[in-house]
Amino acid sequence: MQYFAHPPTWALLIAILALMGGLVLYVMRLNLSLRYSKRVLEVEIGERRRAEEKLAENENRLRQIIASEPECVKLQTLDGILLEMNPAGLCLVEAGQPNEIIGTSVYNIIAPEFRDGYRALSTRVFAGESGVMEFQIISLKGRRRWMETHAVPLRDGRNKVIALLGITRDITAHKHAEEEIRLHYRELAHASRVNTMGEMASSLAHELNQPLAAIANYSHGCLRRIRSGAGTVDDLTRAIEQVCNQADRAADIIRSLRRFVNKEDSPHQPQDLQGIVREAMLIAGPEANMHQVDIRLKLMPDMPKVLGHAIQVEQVILNLIRNAVEAMSNMPPMLRRLELRTFLEDDMAVVEVRDSGLGLPRETLARIFDPFFTTKSTGMGMGLPICRSIVEAHGGTLSAYPNEEGCGLTVRFTLHPAMEEARHE
Amino acid sequence: MNDRQTVFVVDDDQAARESLRWLLESVGYHVDCFTSALEFLESYDGSVPGCLVLDVRMPGMSGLELQNHLLERGWCLPAIIVTGHGDVPMAVRAMKAGAVDFLQKPYNDQTLLDRIQQALDLCSQRRQSHSELALIRANYEHLTQREREVSALVVAGKANKVIAIELGLSPKTIEVHRANVMYKMQAHSLSELVQMWMRLHVETRLPSQVA
Repeated sequence: MQYFAHPPTWALLIAILALMGGLVLYVMRLNLSLRYSKRVLEVEIGERRRAEEKLAENENRLRQIIASEPECVKLQTLDGILLEMNPAGLCLVEAGQPNEIIGTSVYNIIAPEFRDGYRALSTRVFAGESGVMEFQIISLKGRRRWMETHAVPLRDGRNKVIALLGITRDITAHKHAEEEIRLHYRELAHASRVNTMGEMASSLAHELNQPLAAIANYSHGCLRRIRSGAGTVDDLTRAIEQVCNQADRAADIIRSLRRFVNKEDSPHQPQDLQGIVREAMLIAGPEANMHQVDIRLKLMPDMPKVLGHAIQVEQVILNLIRNAVEAMSNMPPMLRRLELRTFLEDDMAVVEVRDSGLGLPRETLARIFDPFFTTKSTGMGMGLPICRSIVEAHGGTLSAYPNEEGCGLTVRFTLHPAMEEARHE
Repeated sequence: MNDRQTVFVVDDDQAARESLRWLLESVGYHVDCFTSALEFLESYDGSVPGCLVLDVRMPGMSGLELQNHLLERGWCLPAIIVTGHGDVPMAVRAMKAGAVDFLQKPYNDQTLLDRIQQALDLCSQRRQSHSELALIRANYEHLTQREREVSALVVAGKANKVIAIELGLSPKTIEVHRANVMYKMQAHSLSELVQMWMRLHVETRLPSQVA
């Protein structure tokens, strides 16, 4: 008992008890706070895991999309090193394994003549633009294919361009089909020109006869004067000059005929419309003359050059003139007038052929550009449809409408004027 | 007034025209060139003898139409049609319209010159016969009604006596009329009178045959 009564002992006991109580309280608080933190962390970890899962899922989805994309998708650096390429791309360049192509330069497969163009495109993309380009590649197995690439910049989080993203498709079949259509179309246009020449043979023979007859007359006249001693040197010289002129005239006709029936297209380039009209007149003039048609040319002076194939444009003009001449064959000769005008309208060059025939009824007029539609007993009905496809291939339009005054028909077509820089060439 | 024969060349092609002039002048013909049928019609009055060298097809009026115009005006300048693309129907039409020749280019120069000479000869013949006919007609106009009756019967081959009975006149009177007819018509024989009579009655009915 004495033991318990000792006061310092009591005090020590109480102090120890108090200390223990405080300790317990502290530990309990700590425990609570730890438990809370744990819960917060658990939630955070859960969210992150979900986010990561989602990210992985997204990435996986994107990868799958890119991998299954039928067109080639690739990433490359500014100097052309391929960073990534999907299976379609590997297939396009005929690479068996990704490592055959990834890490190498695209310039190894781009055909040499397109490398400069592709380099320019890359530079533009890394400057932040996007672009489209058609070019040829030589695959790893050495085959040439036509490609079309849509290239866009790929940016990082700080908006810096880090790669060129290119989506490329194989347009070889398309190019071949285009080429085939172009060939067929060229064949058709050529056949039509040859056919036209055949139909015009008699008037062309007459046209060649003119200079030949003149040459014969001049030279026989010279001979007679020389034999009779009547001709002065001056007179004879002038006559022989005329012989030369007429020989040139015949040669011009032959040259333009040969050019006209030539199968080769003249290049698509700026052309002098006046010159083309003159060439067409050289061939169409005799026939118009034979039909006693009075042709009036109203050509715009200083007409800018037009963009196109000279022979095809000439073919259209010739066809329109011939149609107009034929349309007037039932008119009295004094009333057979054909006006050919060239002028500019709405930034397009216009060629207009106006006849003074009887014109066409509305329902016929609506059908004259249909293939195999003809108003002539001998026609095939292919003249105007071919003209229309030629004009449309040149980016213009061919149209026909009745004359505002009087009867007769006006047929006109438009062509693009050549660009300013082309004109200065 | 101008009796010099002229070759009129009508062709819309300048080279054809001028070369023909050069050839024709080398043999001494007088040549006049026109670019169109209308231009020729405007300047020609029918007085100058000669011949025409025409191209069939020309803008405006064709060579054949020009020939028709000449016929309408009663001038029958012999025409040679030259063409670069002739065919049989065209040649037939040209000949029907009174062309004397139809030449196809290219032609032989000598052929053309020969044809031109023939055409010019034809023209002078026609002019000669035309002036003779004019004289006959003028003489005939001078006959009295009775003299015309008598001449008709004389030409019909009837003797003076028969004529006298038919007209109820004396043979003496008929003889006087007959002598007057012969004198006025400047006929030296009966056969000459018959010829004149024929030309008067046949050719007057066919004016296109004279120039």
